[in-house]
Amino acid sequence: MKEKIVDIIAAYKGVDASEIATDKSFADIGLDSLDVAELVMQIEDACEVEIDITPELNCIDKLVEYIESK
Amino acid sequence: MLKTKLCELLEIEYPVMQGGMAWVADAYLAAAVSNAGGLGIIAGMNSNGEQLRAQIRKAKELTNKPFGVNVMLMSPFVEETAAVICEEKIPVVTTGAGNPTRFMAAWKEAGCKVIPVVPSAALAKMVERRGASAVIAEGGESGGHIGELHTMALVPQVCEAVSIPVIAAGGIVDGRGLAAALMLGACGVQMGTRFIVADECTAHDNFKEKVLAAKDIDTLVTGKRLGHPCRALKNDFSRKFAEMEYDMTVSNEELEQYGAGALRRAVVEGDLKTGSFLCGECAGMVKEKMSCRDIIQDVVTGAEALLGGASQWLK
Repeated sequence: MKEKIVDIIAAYKGVDASEIATDKSFADIGLDSLDVAELVMQIEDACEVEIDITPELNCIDKLVEYIESK
Repeated sequence: MLKTKLCELLEIEYPVMQGGMAWVADAYLAAAVSNAGGLGIIAGMNSNGEQLRAQIRKAKELTNKPFGVNVMLMSPFVEETAAVICEEKIPVVTTGAGNPTRFMAAWKEAGCKVIPVVPSAALAKMVERRGASAVIAEGGESGGHIGELHTMALVPQVCEAVSIPVIAAGGIVDGRGLAAALMLGACGVQMGTRFIVADECTAHDNFKEKVLAAKDIDTLVTGKRLGHPCRALKNDFSRKFAEMEYDMTVSNEELEQYGAGALRRAVVEGDLKTGSFLCGECAGMVKEKMSCRDIIQDVVTGAEALLGGASQWLK
């Protein structure tokens, strides 16, 4: 799951997956709220899950934990 | 006669909504727009629950037509205003300045049609998946808080991304704007700036005169540094804000402090020097004060004439 999400975000940013820090906030990896909305839609489609994005879900690690708990 | 699916969805006569402008969009303006056959909107802005409830009750006294409330999602009172909307069974809720998904289930359960203002196709898709009845695609020509995209590019892309009705906003003041919005794929428009000068609008006369006197180049955008770009008419306040924004010796806190209270000073006190007169780029096209009924008739009949004559371009 984590790998899939990192790959989606890396492709979106046009960087290598190894450059994506999963514990840093989306803002700190250069993603604003509109980027996050776009990515959430892509991740929902790819993982067939509904993501209620909240301010607390602010990094990849927390997002993965949230999806796996569903 | 111009009828779109927005009229059916909102049970209104004409596909024209009035924007939820802070301090401007009160019960009097909202009721007047609804009585004129459009959809009036009360601005929730930073009101607390009881202040908003008072405005809603006043509007209910003034009209028996549907009207809406705009929820400003950055408000410190957003939880309580969201609850008041459910209790008062408001038929339409529009939202701005953020992602409304956390409130949508409760509003829908209360029977409200939820119509978020969206600045991108992805956010439109997200709110559609959470049950939005329609979206307002608002381009950066608008007054107040704005996104990066502009109406001409945003509206068709949002229309392609979702299957719910799309309402166009940003830069629309007359029949030309409504006709163009329909051609872009929207089924109606939301207008703010034109309603500032409505007879029924309680905004200070200085604000109305400033809108009427504005030219095409008379607005500017400030607040990008704070992450909240905002379009307003040029005056001492907005020019100074723009200068301070590019002065790195000025902290973000000082900038926020400089802006505090400026909206109220503009709309309520008409303070031409220190008020922030939020206004769209289309202010230069607003030349006359008139009633909400006349504004809506002018927009709709103007669009009907243009759409009826469109075949002239086909040879």
